[in-house]
Amino acid sequence: MDRLLPLIQNETLKIWKKKRFFVIVLVLLILIPVFTYAQLRIAETNKKNFKDWHNQLVQQINEYQNMLSSDRIPDEWKRSRRIAVQQLQYYLDHDVNPNSPDGVTFTRSFMSNAVTLFFPLLVLAIASDLVSGERTSGTIKMLLTRPVRRWKILLSKLVALTFYVSLTVVVSGVLCYLISGAVFGYNGWEIPVFTGFVIQGSSIESSFVHAVPQWLYMLMEAGLIWVSSMTVAILALMVSVLVRSTSASIVTMMAAVISGTILSSMSSSWHSAKFIFSVNLQLTDYLAGSPPPITGMTLGFSLLILAFWAAVSLAVSFSVFTKQDIMN
Amino acid sequence: MQKTNHSDVVLSVKNVKKQIGGKPIIKNVTFDVYGGEIFGFLGPNGAGKTTTIRMLVDLIKPTSGEITICGEDIQRHPEAALRSVGCIVENPEAYSYMTGWDNLEHFARMQRGIDEARIREVVAIVGLETRIHDKVKTFSLGMRQRLGIAQALLGRPKLLILDEPTNGLDPKGIKELREFVRMLADQGMSLFISSHLLSEIQLMCDRVAIISRGEVLAVGTVDDLLRGTDNYVVWQFEQPDAGKRLLAGERDVRIVPGNEHRIDESVLAGMKDAQITTMNQDRVAALVAKAVRAGIGVVSVQSIAPTLEQLFLRMTEGESIG
Amino acid sequence: MRTLSSANLWKFIGIAAVLCTVMLLAGFGYAVKDMLYPKSEAYSGSEDLPALPAGGNLSESKEINVTAIGDSLTKGTGDSSGEGYVKQLVALLKTKYPDTAVRLNNNLAVNGMKADQLAKLLDTDKGYRFALRQANLIVFTIGGNDLFQIAAGASPSRMTGELKLDKLQAELPQGLDRLDAITKRLNAINPNAHVVYVGLYNPFYDIGDYREGSLQIQKWNERAYALLHRYPNMSMVPTFDLFENTISRYLSSDHFHPNHNGYAQIAARIVQSLE
Repeated sequence: MDRLLPLIQNETLKIWKKKRFFVIVLVLLILIPVFTYAQLRIAETNKKNFKDWHNQLVQQINEYQNMLSSDRIPDEWKRSRRIAVQQLQYYLDHDVNPNSPDGVTFTRSFMSNAVTLFFPLLVLAIASDLVSGERTSGTIKMLLTRPVRRWKILLSKLVALTFYVSLTVVVSGVLCYLISGAVFGYNGWEIPVFTGFVIQGSSIESSFVHAVPQWLYMLMEAGLIWVSSMTVAILALMVSVLVRSTSASIVTMMAAVISGTILSSMSSSWHSAKFIFSVNLQLTDYLAGSPPPITGMTLGFSLLILAFWAAVSLAVSFSVFTKQDIMN
Repeated sequence: MQKTNHSDVVLSVKNVKKQIGGKPIIKNVTFDVYGGEIFGFLGPNGAGKTTTIRMLVDLIKPTSGEITICGEDIQRHPEAALRSVGCIVENPEAYSYMTGWDNLEHFARMQRGIDEARIREVVAIVGLETRIHDKVKTFSLGMRQRLGIAQALLGRPKLLILDEPTNGLDPKGIKELREFVRMLADQGMSLFISSHLLSEIQLMCDRVAIISRGEVLAVGTVDDLLRGTDNYVVWQFEQPDAGKRLLAGERDVRIVPGNEHRIDESVLAGMKDAQITTMNQDRVAALVAKAVRAGIGVVSVQSIAPTLEQLFLRMTEGESIG
Repeated sequence: MRTLSSANLWKFIGIAAVLCTVMLLAGFGYAVKDMLYPKSEAYSGSEDLPALPAGGNLSESKEINVTAIGDSLTKGTGDSSGEGYVKQLVALLKTKYPDTAVRLNNNLAVNGMKADQLAKLLDTDKGYRFALRQANLIVFTIGGNDLFQIAAGASPSRMTGELKLDKLQAELPQGLDRLDAITKRLNAINPNAHVVYVGLYNPFYDIGDYREGSLQIQKWNERAYALLHRYPNMSMVPTFDLFENTISRYLSSDHFHPNHNGYAQIAARIVQSLE
């Protein structure tokens, strides 16, 4: 095992020096202010129209109720609205503002919105060329002719990838807090957030609902984001082993992730879609108590599916990488 | 064939075969490389040189056969076997986004017992001290080559494998490389050098294996293999026209027209106004003296081997005759 | 050239990354624990009801906060501009009281709302109570769905079956009981606000057989007036007369809800009723 640490050091430094992480930070530095500005405009409009967050929430609930009374809206959609109404009502009944305008709340909702598409894309920026990049540059020949077993090389790449996934999640949160806090204020850590909504059909069971301080909620959220990002990372690593070119590897993974997002929003009638990894990425929804894309999905189920995909990818990656002939 | 001590085998290749997609790429390759020798691996492009080299360093698994390096089977104990090898497969690759030094540190970490002093040592050996802290993407091909060699030397290998090392080098660079390789061999290192240029192998190597269409045709000392091959004698004069007249006046010297000779163009590239002749090599000294007496300065006289194809032609003819 | 040596850089990245990973794993572990083995724990938020507005004349108050509740009439169904009478009322109030800040607090009307549902909401819903307590002008409509739904046996807006007038008559007392409950609760929640109830009209006045329905509607309006009369801050504006001879001008194409002009008339009447 002592030989593994220098290898991890190598891979970590290579990713750093390839400036991949800088690209991620740059993307965050551009996008977060954009979202912050959009949120600021929304907050300004609300401030103009509503005296108090209670009024805004009450009006929001009322709008959902009116939609529910319409006959033109599909049942599936109504179901999720009905659940949303009950949750908002819960917040209202307990005098907690679910959309408090502060840096922490903004960060929380940004992170949760980013889990299905944004974080996977950031992760792909690092993971997609881990192996295929070495092939393209030809350096894989140098790497694999050193007296180190191939599985150790791949393992060190996996560990370095894990490092950067962790850093990406944490740095996103920190940057988001710092940037949005400048506009909305740096408070909100102690605001209670409700979790533990159990969804049963179109109603929620609120006997397990409990309040956690927002900082703890964010920590849990970040942990779940990390798990779904790691699944994407491990899959991308496999694709990077299997596919020769980096661009092909990025395109393959992007297609998988994006199609999952589309499926999540329309696959209510196709139940088998719940076994696709990218339909299961929105783990933070379970925490918030939003209805899952397909009825019957639970946190345990999604974690199991993600673990299965990750395990298969790892098995494929390692067996192919240790056996394949390096022809070019 | 003269052989050195058998216990001193550094690289042993036995009956190695490789099929890719059912097609035999390497049909049968067998040879040994001994300690401290420069071993040439000669064959035209596409003969299977690179595939063989990749099998030597575990990039490709042979379909059958056995490769051992310093007694360690490359397939069963790749870690142990590769510890004795330094190599450059095809082009000298490096991480272009890192400095030369970072690259060497990177590969140093992959092996036990290489400290900063050793890195500095190999940098000095290849003469990259001034540029080693620059990004590799700013390096010329020659510098990359040096960096590649530095990387290969890091682990104090017993066997250094160089795949077409002279590709892209100018004549001066080739000469330096030749001297460098000889120096390493004198220190006891074995060198395995592939090339498609007979002249190069001839000048550099002690022994040679000739490969064609995935099969080793012959293994032996260079002199053994080249015996009977008539080399060209290539002249360069200070006064090219006078020199040409002088050569034309000799009865046993034949001037070979530019389109008839079989010397690799890359070999001739650095030689201006060269006169290519076929003649008895013993007569060279007398002819030089004659030229000097006639007031014609002789810049150089070289004996240059014909291309590989001609050697193959002779070898296959030899087979058919007897 | 090298500001940070590779060894130090590695130490920095490595330690930071390991710390982040440990933290995220802890967060994940806690989330799984929290989700799979939830501990139920009652959270009682701090009750945070706004202070009641000052009573007295609207014209003398610093600001006018309007809260609207009720059914589709208050929602503004049928008005293609989406304004309904509520938004038009706010606009009219702004011109009437140019020195006072007029704002629509909330319009909490829901299509198809019936009197019993509204009574229950007033009882239980914190949001309703909050929005109503802030207001010094409360406008509402209710009862139409109770009466016509009972009579038609279906939602009035997509009524196809027979309208049974005798049933309408039979259900009147129950509907009025509910209205009674609503007025009591409104008074309990906010005794200081002006409350305006918009009376019912007969949308089927021009359909021969159902013209008789107007008599039942008038009975409802009369009793409703009596209920509201008990509270000095509550008043009622009539609308039945708008939808008799001019029914085609003021009713929307669904033949049940007013159109934009119809709502404009209702808004004008409410403004007229306020000093």
